[in-house]
Amino acid sequence: MNADTRSPHLDLEDLIAGAAGQPLGDRAREHLASCRHCQLEANRWNLVADGVRGLAAAGPQAAVGPAAAQPARPRRTGQREMAGPWRRAMLVAGSAAAALVLLVGIGAVTGYVHVHLSGPGTEAALTAVTGCTQLDQADGTLEQVNGSGLVIKTASGRPVTVTTTMTTFVSMSGALLGDITDGASVMVRGSRSDATINAAIVTVGQPFSAVNPPGFVPVRGTVSGASTAGFTLLTSGGTRVRVTTSSDTLVVVPHASLGQLQAGTSIFAVGHAGLDGTLSARGLAAVSQLRSGPHVGVSVKGCSPSSIAEALGAISAAPVSAG
Amino acid sequence: MSGPRGDAGAPIFTVSRDGACDEAALLGRIGQGDEDAMAAFYREHGRVVLAQVLLVVGERVLAEEIVQDAMLAVWRGAGSFRGESSVRSWVIAIARRQTRDRLRGRRLRVVDDAFLADQPGSGPGPEVTALDRAELAEVKGAIRELALPHREVLGLAFGSGLSLREVAGVLEIPVGTVKSRLAAARTALSRILNEKGQDR
Repeated sequence: MNADTRSPHLDLEDLIAGAAGQPLGDRAREHLASCRHCQLEANRWNLVADGVRGLAAAGPQAAVGPAAAQPARPRRTGQREMAGPWRRAMLVAGSAAAALVLLVGIGAVTGYVHVHLSGPGTEAALTAVTGCTQLDQADGTLEQVNGSGLVIKTASGRPVTVTTTMTTFVSMSGALLGDITDGASVMVRGSRSDATINAAIVTVGQPFSAVNPPGFVPVRGTVSGASTAGFTLLTSGGTRVRVTTSSDTLVVVPHASLGQLQAGTSIFAVGHAGLDGTLSARGLAAVSQLRSGPHVGVSVKGCSPSSIAEALGAISAAPVSAG
Repeated sequence: MSGPRGDAGAPIFTVSRDGACDEAALLGRIGQGDEDAMAAFYREHGRVVLAQVLLVVGERVLAEEIVQDAMLAVWRGAGSFRGESSVRSWVIAIARRQTRDRLRGRRLRVVDDAFLADQPGSGPGPEVTALDRAELAEVKGAIRELALPHREVLGLAFGSGLSLREVAGVLEIPVGTVKSRLAAARTALSRILNEKGQDR
């Protein structure tokens, strides 16, 4: 936060660190969540950072071969063309195309660095996002969360490193009954039976517009008496409604933190492919009750943050929407 | 090829961004002539270094040659790494010196930061608005049009995985100057976007 007590806003160092994918302190995060001015500033720096990373990813990938061996590089294609001295080095190195190893010979006398890379290992780890050509998607199983980053194991078994910034949208859904706590503001969708709602979906916190599968009338209110069997919903009109929950109830947390995500969950990350084998995520959705297999293509209406959040919201509700 | 091979059984992937000890060990292996270690080093850093050099010089073939020279310098001088900085910032600094040498004929100018830091106004001016409206592709195009010191500092801050302190080390300027240069770079970027927007 800004050391200048006259300004409550994030300082430049925070904004740059956030755009660079470095973790922010709790106070800075809390301020950002409620400050429109800083959110706009963060988005501007994120755009600049994405531009730099986009240039970096587009620039060298066609030029150099060795990075193709990186296990975590999220690339759409395995084709690459060597140029300049690397191409010459490649020709010198020969064409042992089936080899999996990277052979590097360094001619100290000639001053040449000979690099040869071949073999598989460059299969796609990213897929395109329908509706925005600038975005890429990585999906699979969440392996681990490290600070502001995480590792996704794709269906092909390849790990993809994903970084987040302070403005990355993170949601989670599943049988998360423990996240329904007294005092929480929730949106309940389910079937009515007398004065009771049998909850199909409970959205905790500010709801997604996308989480609105047909057939359910939403009721909003505050939770009291929460247990695994249900809770009482107090509406703004003062009405008390009994809500029952079960292991089939889908709980959606649209604004989660990385620390809440559980390893082994199906996860979708949407963002920009970076240079160093990472995906810089604009949005994440962790979904632990998917019934139709782990791969779902993300489709957005546009490249804006709200479009990404809406698309990931739809995926969060997929267990019920598809069911 | 030259140089003795290292431990044939040693794993190639011994490095990680956070693994300073592993990276130092990797450089130790390179210093002993381990080609696998050099390959791993290249995989870990080559692409990032090339991207940074390419951002600065703007010519692919020249950038590749500079990176090749930098990697050769790593091969020859791995033993000189003293651990006073991260390996990433060390190799980028090597590449920056190589770039400076190559561009000497073209004068890699030392730019007055007072000149670079066009002081932004206190409120959101038209340039800021331009950045709010801009698409990623437009931003990438505008970055290419920035002055070299602006491209360089943006690349180091956002494309190289370095902290501000490390960026300052590579550029050999104070951290405060890095921040003001970054702010000036964004202002210049916004101005370019604004001008392009007016042209449309």
